[in-house]
Amino acid sequence: MTDPSQITVFTARRIRTMNRSNPVATAVAVRDGRILEVGTPETLRPWLDAHPHTVDDRFRDAVLMPGFIDPHLHPTLAAILLPCHFITALEWRLPNRVSPPVTSQEAYMARLTEIEAGLADPAEPLITWGYHRIWHGAVTREMLNAVSSERPIVLWQRSFHEVVANDAAIDWMGLDRADLDRHPQVEPSTGRFFETGLSLAMRGMNPHLLAPQRFSGGLELVKQAIHWGGHTTIGELAYPLADDAGEWAALKAALDGDDVPFRTHFVPRGALRGAFDAQGADLARIDGYAARNTHRLRFGNGVKLFTDGGFFAELMQVQEPGFIDGHHGEWMMAPEAFERVARDLWHAGKRIHVHCTGDLGVELALDVLERLQFARPRFNHRFTIEHFGLSTPEQVRRIRDLGALVSANVYYVHELGEAYWQRSIGHERASSMSRLGALEREGVTTALHSDFTMAPALPLNSAWVAVNRVAESGAVIGAEERMSLDAAMRAITIDAAYVLGMENEIGSIRAGKAADFTVLGEDPWEVDPMALRDIPVLGTVFEGRHFPAAG
Amino acid sequence: MAPVLPGSGRIPVTLLSGYLGAGKTTAVNRLLAAGAGRRLAVLVNDFGAVSVDAALIEARDATTISLANGCLCCAVSDDLGGALDGLAALPEPPEQVLIEASGVAHPARIARMAGGWPGFALDAVATVADPETLRARAADKFVGRLVRDQVEAADLLLLSRADLACPAAVADARALLAGLAPGRPVLDAAEAAAAPDLLLGPLVSGAQPRPLPGPAPHPAFSSRIWTPPGPIAPERMREILAALPAPIHRAKGFFVTPDGATMLAQRAGARVEIAPAAPAATAIVLIAAGPAETRENALPRAIAELDAAPFQDTRPGDAA
Ligand SMILES: [Zn+2]
Repeated sequence: MTDPSQITVFTARRIRTMNRSNPVATAVAVRDGRILEVGTPETLRPWLDAHPHTVDDRFRDAVLMPGFIDPHLHPTLAAILLPCHFITALEWRLPNRVSPPVTSQEAYMARLTEIEAGLADPAEPLITWGYHRIWHGAVTREMLNAVSSERPIVLWQRSFHEVVANDAAIDWMGLDRADLDRHPQVEPSTGRFFETGLSLAMRGMNPHLLAPQRFSGGLELVKQAIHWGGHTTIGELAYPLADDAGEWAALKAALDGDDVPFRTHFVPRGALRGAFDAQGADLARIDGYAARNTHRLRFGNGVKLFTDGGFFAELMQVQEPGFIDGHHGEWMMAPEAFERVARDLWHAGKRIHVHCTGDLGVELALDVLERLQFARPRFNHRFTIEHFGLSTPEQVRRIRDLGALVSANVYYVHELGEAYWQRSIGHERASSMSRLGALEREGVTTALHSDFTMAPALPLNSAWVAVNRVAESGAVIGAEERMSLDAAMRAITIDAAYVLGMENEIGSIRAGKAADFTVLGEDPWEVDPMALRDIPVLGTVFEGRHFPAAG
Repeated sequence: MAPVLPGSGRIPVTLLSGYLGAGKTTAVNRLLAAGAGRRLAVLVNDFGAVSVDAALIEARDATTISLANGCLCCAVSDDLGGALDGLAALPEPPEQVLIEASGVAHPARIARMAGGWPGFALDAVATVADPETLRARAADKFVGRLVRDQVEAADLLLLSRADLACPAAVADARALLAGLAPGRPVLDAAEAAAAPDLLLGPLVSGAQPRPLPGPAPHPAFSSRIWTPPGPIAPERMREILAALPAPIHRAKGFFVTPDGATMLAQRAGARVEIAPAAPAATAIVLIAAGPAETRENALPRAIAELDAAPFQDTRPGDAA
């Protein structure tokens, strides 16, 4: 172990700094977790001549980038999900396993049977996530009974809005058959619980899903997954998700240790869950969180608000002509309440992040921003549209004119592009979800995020979707909305840092910033864009310390 | 877990819906003031609240319970279900529950949720509308669809501030409501909220329906008890209730089928429901609202017609 106060010079095959003034380098000098200078061994000379140093060439065959940043994900939600058995239509790569694509009912049942046979304890419930009717057909209670009549088996649907249970699971959930028979959103014959009926199943499952031991095990997996994706900074974008005391204790225990190779930037909720009709922002609570800041866990100036419902659940608010089936989206807060809270935050000088999934949700956020700008103009306010599922080209110009930013979940294009084209909103609008090309053309600072577990927490995978817009079948969808490679790589580094208000600390490799690097096996600018997601992430350097990828 | 009540065995839930500022809270406060003598729980804010306030009114002393929820996220947690479980677990569970939905709630969804929860059954969805703002809200770029959904999902519609609003606005609101929700009664919110039997339905869980209006006739509604003359097939009862004349907005009580089964019958607005029940005294409470003379005339006439109606001409075996 080298003396941390001593200068270490990391040399690499190439360093992609993401600093446009000095884009490519081969050596970076680090002291006390910070970058002294990046350049070549020759340009570093004045530092090296003046101070003792060591040269570390362990990255000589690798490419260094600034540590990747996912500015919007949810460790708590991921910790509930990751301990589940994944059987997914699309491939999910996780640190401890790969869930291969399972795209037929036959394959689904075979995989489920295999998992069941592998469980030693006959009483252990088997909860699997990823089931989707489009690919896996109608899997029923009877089919699950055939896999096991003893073990509770629950299929948790990909968007979390439906489960299918076998008889053992219905008993395990403590449900009375009479209550299932009369419920309009439970099908006792097929074992299917959906929408409001799902609440009945969750009541029975929660003691298991939220058991402290399972949850802390889940957080351990989250930690591995974040490191494995090459992140050195993440944004938790709606704290708290659960009851504050318990959630904070769990997150602190898991994410604040010296062994954790990343920092977490917390963005608190502007209104607590259920505050649909809030009279204003709860600034005392919001400002109070900063007293908890530690080296790795930090609250900043950002605050999270919501306009419309979830994109995977098809509860986004969509402008005319709406959804093909005529259903309607939801508001997460009354529009007037949203405006009241946003106004308080605006006047308090906060950086406002707004969850907007449909174009009517975006419209509400922009209408309110326009009124706020009129009442009290602000520059560099960094009002950020989060998710950005559906939008119009006109909204993109307005985002630029109002000085707003975007943090987009581009994975929608890959997983839902074709499904929503066929069943939800038609081709024209489905092919322009996550309208990144327009954002780039208008010069809007844009970050990419996973909203993990809505998408895999793999920044190179997000960049791959942004650059190629390859849908689930392999077809390109919305080619005009592809992002350039440069913009996509900025969106997972320096532009993501900007969205979190941390651009002076992280996001590029330059003198004075944290020595956070992602170590890649290949140079993203040298591979075929379609191979972007296959570039090996060999590990990370967090504040000067090397954390190799496991295995 | 769920309390065992005579009759249906499930606690009836009324959902009060309406957009922000429609007058829901005023209605709830009025109802609490008028609801003395019954165990009524009010849940404010249907979904997602980290803490749900519930006012529990029994006779003259009101208790407030607050249910803190250790819920994880909208996918995993359900605060409304937790709150209902909390009510059912009380030493003396409420006889009726009123849920004041949030302004952005889609009532059909919450009605399914609460009505399907173990131990509870949906009584009615009542939507409050403010005549001065209804038309603008129903056409609003952001909430127009939601406001129209709230009206369309209602069994009962309540017009708030009807005494303060200008008559033209009230007439316009009535026309709009009639277009969105044809056949649904439109009541004065202040009057209906002062009449728990009208808004929440009569208490019929005991062996005998409680005496209704009390010594003095209620200013907002009238009621009578009709005792079916003999067994009635469920489908026939459904027809009978659906055909009750206009001022009768609610009916609730028990009857016996030709097979000897006791059933709970109820009508709220235009919706009729028949469900199996434990044995109970046969009696149906009819409640009429509107101008005093109209309703006082309508009830005896309806009962006379019911008594004279043919019940035997339906197939006895077609129990639902
Ligand atoms: Zn999110």
